[in-house]
Amino acid sequence: MKLEEKLKSIRRSPWVFHLNSGSCNACDIEILDALTPYFDAERFGVKLVASPRHADVVLFTGPVTRETLPKIIKTFRAVPRPRIVAAIGSCAVGGGIWWDTYSTMGGFPKLQEILKQHGIEIDRVVYVPGCPARPEAIIYGLLLALGYVKQKVSKVVRVVES
Amino acid sequence: MQVDRISSPLKLLTIALKTGRVTKKYPFGPPLLTESFRGAISIDPAKCWGCGACVLVCPPNALTMRFEEERAVLEYFKGRCIFCGMCADVCPASAITVTKEFELAATNLEDLKEGVIHRLSTCAVCGKPFAPAAELRDVMKMHPIAEEYANICPECRKKRTAKAFGLSFGANI
Repeated sequence: MKLEEKLKSIRRSPWVFHLNSGSCNACDIEILDALTPYFDAERFGVKLVASPRHADVVLFTGPVTRETLPKIIKTFRAVPRPRIVAAIGSCAVGGGIWWDTYSTMGGFPKLQEILKQHGIEIDRVVYVPGCPARPEAIIYGLLLALGYVKQKVSKVVRVVES
Repeated sequence: MQVDRISSPLKLLTIALKTGRVTKKYPFGPPLLTESFRGAISIDPAKCWGCGACVLVCPPNALTMRFEEERAVLEYFKGRCIFCGMCADVCPASAITVTKEFELAATNLEDLKEGVIHRLSTCAVCGKPFAPAAELRDVMKMHPIAEEYANICPECRKKRTAKAFGLSFGANI
């Protein structure tokens, strides 16, 4: 089955697993906010599950500290295909303020390279910047991963005329 | 007991009815943004000098300056930005403004990047590119200095000053 067909089957009720790789807990609290009745991600069938084996989407936070790296690899191995990851917060997207320190891997892009060496494929990644990302931004990112909404940002390069 | 079993759901129902619906209709309605919310920054290329003050102050190095042969590229990577707004505070030309943009989710990292390309002006003596042309132009506007000094790179200016200083003491250069 192709990725698009598989996405269609989970689109109505994506089960999410919250994976913290050493973040400061701000993004994690925003994820909780997104699931509360105020923002109510359950409108889209989003349900928090306790095991990575049940997960359709992994809500990934944190800059991947050295201490968590082996556990993160183990967890991603347990996630069934298609593996869809929503990297939430500036730490998970680009390493954040710890992008070049010795004790972190520097966000999800670097982790993806390590996962590739371990033979773990990630099928789709959605990057949700924010420090912390707003609950709305998390909902927007999830909807983008599932194909409900269109992407708004694109690469812009402008030349100064002088 | 019997009374409790009937009355407690009723109590809950009255509370729920009194509170009403609290859920935000976000993707179909307006988001819940406060006045003080800081989102992604926007750089106005018409105002930007390319001085690099924002690059120095940026805590996670989301703003970087790259010097290529005859141009300087100011790059903004939204993925690493912590939305502190310090760049907007220090910008001498007030080219950077903090917007309320938060729907920045992207499937590709390249989509989160933004660039402003500056042309470097060349030194009148040695011909090497040394400073963004926009910066020189705007500094000249603020503090008019002799054009022969403004168009010379720091190296050549140093040499010229040293030569003039030496000549004043009668050195044979």
